[in-house]
Amino acid sequence: MVTATVEAGRRHRSSFIARKTTRQAVLIWCFLAPSLLIFLLYRILPLAWNVILSFQAWSPLRPAVWIGFDNYDEMLTDEVFWQSLWNTLYIIGSAPIGIAIALALALLVNADIRGRDVYRTAIFLSYPLMTVAVAIIWRWMFDERVGLINYVARSLHLVDSPIQFLNSFTWALPSVIAANIWQMLGFYMIILLTGLQNIPGNLYEAAEIDGANAFRRFLRITLPLLKPSIFLCFVIGMLNSVTSFDLVYVMTGGGPGRATEILVTYIYKLGFVQTRFDYAAAVTVVFFIMLITIAWAANRFSGGNAGAVERD
Amino acid sequence: MRHYPRWPIHLILLVASFIMLVPFYWVLKTSVSGENIFTYPPNIIPRNPHLFYYVDVWYAIPFARYFLNSVIVSVLTIAANVIFNAMAGYALTRGFRGKNLVLMLFLSCMMVPFQATIIPAYLITGKLGLLDSYLGLALPQFSTIICIFVFKASFDAVPKSLIDAAKIDGLSEWRIIWKVMMPLAKSAMATNIILSFIWSWNNFLWPLIMTRSADMQTLPLGLSRFLSYQEDTTGALYAFCVMVLAPGILLFLLAQKEFIQGLTSGATKG
Repeated sequence: MVTATVEAGRRHRSSFIARKTTRQAVLIWCFLAPSLLIFLLYRILPLAWNVILSFQAWSPLRPAVWIGFDNYDEMLTDEVFWQSLWNTLYIIGSAPIGIAIALALALLVNADIRGRDVYRTAIFLSYPLMTVAVAIIWRWMFDERVGLINYVARSLHLVDSPIQFLNSFTWALPSVIAANIWQMLGFYMIILLTGLQNIPGNLYEAAEIDGANAFRRFLRITLPLLKPSIFLCFVIGMLNSVTSFDLVYVMTGGGPGRATEILVTYIYKLGFVQTRFDYAAAVTVVFFIMLITIAWAANRFSGGNAGAVERD
Repeated sequence: MRHYPRWPIHLILLVASFIMLVPFYWVLKTSVSGENIFTYPPNIIPRNPHLFYYVDVWYAIPFARYFLNSVIVSVLTIAANVIFNAMAGYALTRGFRGKNLVLMLFLSCMMVPFQATIIPAYLITGKLGLLDSYLGLALPQFSTIICIFVFKASFDAVPKSLIDAAKIDGLSEWRIIWKVMMPLAKSAMATNIILSFIWSWNNFLWPLIMTRSADMQTLPLGLSRFLSYQEDTTGALYAFCVMVLAPGILLFLLAQKEFIQGLTSGATKG
């Protein structure tokens, strides 16, 4: 009799707990729902839709027709596509320059000197700015008649006649890259600085006792331990510079000719100027595969453990 | 410890800071004088500075309208980010089935730049009937993964006993988030507010694609349109730049610590 009651009680209890855990699980999923919905709607679904659209011939006025790989075939002979792909890779290839400068600055502002917070602020200040305004500022700096850069170059007699930076096939892309590095430098510096501060100080002391000079300490301790931060800079810098649509759109509009056309500006023009959504989607698919491949390669290169998340 | 001369470090950092700050000065100078738009060599120090160009901006373009639009979109984005990210961050502090899947999903979403989704994002927003609306402008930024992880890290630091105590007192999970967790996660909230403000305030590509009417344009769009009308013929363009940059710079200088903390913790975690 008594055991039966205990049994019943236990059964009741366990079903109560079970109900409670299901209720909690439901609640947790409810908490996640809004964020998940937004990411599904604006990240996952678009990726899938891009792939589908890339195999179709479609525009808002025509019904969709499956055309297999025709869009991709067109890309093979599309010179503008190859030019923008090349320019995009060129920008990615220039990311290490910015990261190297940022590393030097990070080492310096990590030193125990007076006023380092002021330096950090000064160097970081350009990062949170509106890129459209940054682009206008740099258009003005690069201006051929009265731009500051030409003025300085002419005063120092580095050049005889002003350079038309943004109208020149040689200079336009490097000019955009310079503006991009100017904006990203502080961000790289902060990431690298955090990495530097996470390196235990006693490693340096031990190396110093062993007689390693500053350069060797940098090469053997700082650089290897900083690898994850450098990788992080590279990936973020890549995502950021490759997508520096605002900068290119405002500074050069992709010109002169197609000298500064990058994949994102080309996709924008294809989609929203020429309303060729299908072909633009195919270019986007290639663009995305390229990004993932480079990120994967960089991850392998940095030792494969960078960007790992603590899972508890 | 090591002894080394400090002045070379100061010298290099001074030069670097100078290079980083000169463009600000140059644009500020042009916005109050504008003289060297036409004259060469340019003056380094403005002669007869005036505020005429700032007044000009006010009358030449619907600045108030752009400003209002930007503020509305930013406020919507900030509110949604704080609420949704806090909820998701709290959920991620708990153990539940499928958690690893959700984490994987979040991390892979971080690798998808928004620019690689513009065509379908435009079509989806069109299907939702939100083109050319405030909600449509803000919706893609309603939740950000970095900010979710910022909240999660902050909630993880809250002692478990406090949550248990709140539960014994009969508080629901919903109220635990807002009454117990949020007051303890003030800096995470500040980070969320600042980051989502900066991202939404500066956003250009999305408004460019999805606004149709001039009434819905935000500040970056107004700026780029002003440039295409006027080219470099007036100092008002640079006055406009300064007016647009000022809120961001002010906010950043006020809350620099939270901003940088958020970026680094978010970036290194995610």
